[in-house]
Amino acid sequence: MKPTYFINFMMGMYIFIFFAYLFGPLIVMSITAFNSAEFPSISPWECFSFRWFNEGKIAYDGQHLAGLLSDWRLHDGIISSLIIGAGVVSLSVPIGMAAAIVLTQVRSQLRDIYYSISIMPVLFPGVIIGISTVVLWDRIAGLGGDGFISDVGRNGIFLTILAQTCFISTYCFLIFVARLQRFDQTQEEAALDLGATQTQVFFKILVPYLMPAIASAAVIAFLFSFENYNTTVFSILSDQTLTTVIASKVRLGISPALSALALTIIALTIIAAVTYEILRRRSEKKYAQSQEIFVKEKAASGRINKEYKAGFKVPKGIVAILLVLVFATYGATQIVKNDLYGQSCIDAADQEKKSKFLEQLQTLESNELTEEELSGGSLGGTEDYGDIFGDPSLFQDFGGFD
Amino acid sequence: MSADVELNNVSVTFGSFYAAKSVNVKINGGEFFSFLGPSGCGKTTLLRAISGFQDPSEGSVLIDNKDMFGIGPNKRPTSLIFQNLALFPLMSVSENIAFSLEVRGVSKKDRQKRADELLELIALEGQGEKKVHQLSGGQKQRVAIARALAVEPKVLLLDEPLSALDLKLRQRMRTELREIQKRVNITFIYITHDQGEALTMSDRIAVMNEGEIEQIGLCDEVYNNPLTPFVATFVGENNPLFGKVKEINQNKVKIETPDGDFLSTMNENKRLNIGDEAIAFVRPESLFIPRDGDNFDNQIDVNIESFEFEGNIKNFYATLTSGTRIKFSIPNAIDTSSISSGTKLQLGFESIKSSILPKAQLAID
Repeated sequence: MKPTYFINFMMGMYIFIFFAYLFGPLIVMSITAFNSAEFPSISPWECFSFRWFNEGKIAYDGQHLAGLLSDWRLHDGIISSLIIGAGVVSLSVPIGMAAAIVLTQVRSQLRDIYYSISIMPVLFPGVIIGISTVVLWDRIAGLGGDGFISDVGRNGIFLTILAQTCFISTYCFLIFVARLQRFDQTQEEAALDLGATQTQVFFKILVPYLMPAIASAAVIAFLFSFENYNTTVFSILSDQTLTTVIASKVRLGISPALSALALTIIALTIIAAVTYEILRRRSEKKYAQSQEIFVKEKAASGRINKEYKAGFKVPKGIVAILLVLVFATYGATQIVKNDLYGQSCIDAADQEKKSKFLEQLQTLESNELTEEELSGGSLGGTEDYGDIFGDPSLFQDFGGFD
Repeated sequence: MSADVELNNVSVTFGSFYAAKSVNVKINGGEFFSFLGPSGCGKTTLLRAISGFQDPSEGSVLIDNKDMFGIGPNKRPTSLIFQNLALFPLMSVSENIAFSLEVRGVSKKDRQKRADELLELIALEGQGEKKVHQLSGGQKQRVAIARALAVEPKVLLLDEPLSALDLKLRQRMRTELREIQKRVNITFIYITHDQGEALTMSDRIAVMNEGEIEQIGLCDEVYNNPLTPFVATFVGENNPLFGKVKEINQNKVKIETPDGDFLSTMNENKRLNIGDEAIAFVRPESLFIPRDGDNFDNQIDVNIESFEFEGNIKNFYATLTSGTRIKFSIPNAIDTSSISSGTKLQLGFESIKSSILPKAQLAID
């Protein structure tokens, strides 16, 4: 083996391990969304089903395990998250932009101090921002009696928008600073010199220039807001956002509906990213074409002697696509061969579980404790918790949710 | 419509630093006036004071006899062409040109009409829809000029707009600028560190050094009769000969140098006394190799060190007996094949073509 092949092989292995580490959990989670079992798992595989995307199921013990479509708490959470996201975007982007523009006007040592203060909110723990917002607005709400201020000050969505804006506007600020660093300020001067007022300079020169930064700041702000947990969990008060709903679900035991949600979010992200990439390439191609026309116009006819024509090229990602296809085909044939899909499979699995459950119930009933045992006596427990927390060591290793 | 521009005792300070110091100049309406000076001499500061980006710390700027203090650049009858042109990259050529009309609320139709007129003026008809990045360097230059002219300013200010172009294009643009100025007949104030540019285009020039004006005058006047050693060495090339004044006869001055005595001409404004330290200047093109029958006022012995071929002329670098280096140029039409490094020669120059000035700072230190 030539050394370059060896190096290439090791490089390939490294990249494979890296991506496996990165995406492995996501892939496993995505697959569990299609398993009909109540607990997200790949093995043992119960049945292939879309139930966790739809209605979920009524378990053999009468418990309703909601699927993605039927979970109203999740829906409410998503709606609140969207409202909060919109609020945060409409506050953070202007604040970040204004702060960045001020930075370009400040000179000397004051500039460093101003910059440090501006980026400080990202260094604070989110928990502190959340708590302090609640504490402050609780006081403010207390001042105004029962009126509007009291309502607003104890509105979880309003408080969450404010709390998240505190640090998300800083991320926007950083995006704008990066873009403004490349801004040629003589353009502003040129516009002024041509008779524009300061307002016109802002809207006709600076804002168009900042447009890409405005767009990316808005996207970043929305994403940060949507996925934020540690600030939101305090400031949301009695309301719920998507993240707090998910967290409270985890508390009660995770369900494959969360896998379904995760897969949906991943799919949306991938679609958005691919769409963006396609649009970007298209505009780039357009620009390249206009440049080519320009060069052809300018250059003497003898300079460009070749007409390049791109032939059909196999995309480099073809290996990855083939790999996914192979695995998907293998999985599908296994499922079909073992009859692991459809209603009949689910019914059979339920029947089996129900009988197991009944067996267990009978065992429990036969082991039922006497009155004397329950009241402490022979077990040595106390009356207070004996029947609720049968095993006092149950929560011993529990470290909390966050 | 053109306007006079008057700078009365204008000083601009940044902290304790004088960017411009007590500048007095009156520029007439319709004139092509250049400020010439090395980088950092304060010429851009003066331009910013005229255009309104910088109010003078002392003194006043008058345009059309009106004090401009406190009036912003968007309210002055001036247009500025920036060194980097500052065209708006996100707009098309037409939008760039019509920007000043757009911000004044002119209707789209009228804007388009005016933009087309100006595109014709700069010979870019039908290219209004292009983006700025699709233009070549010279075309961008012309678009910047058209954009500045769209508001019909009374004064056009140009901040070294040609410095980014290659030599041929620069020479062509000089002629074009001059022609545009004649056509629109407004005051042009041009800033440059390139004396060739200043001399070829301007009616009058002001030579600046360290924030102060050293000399204002017609181009040939500044070139032939410099008032200070700085002007003598900054505008064109000059060989300085250091020495002491030995004799004065009206405006003819004899200077004693380590390389012999030379007769030179004194500017009427400059008073020299016998014994003063002085510098006589002689330009490379005023030094000649004497032919039979020639009789020059001054002779000078040189030892050729090296030479370079520039095309129309050949430049020779030589040392005098004291070791002072001088340069002289011979037109290519004259056969100089016998001269090579190490050749000893006697050169001659006329006293009328040499000027003598009190010793002071040179531009080539």
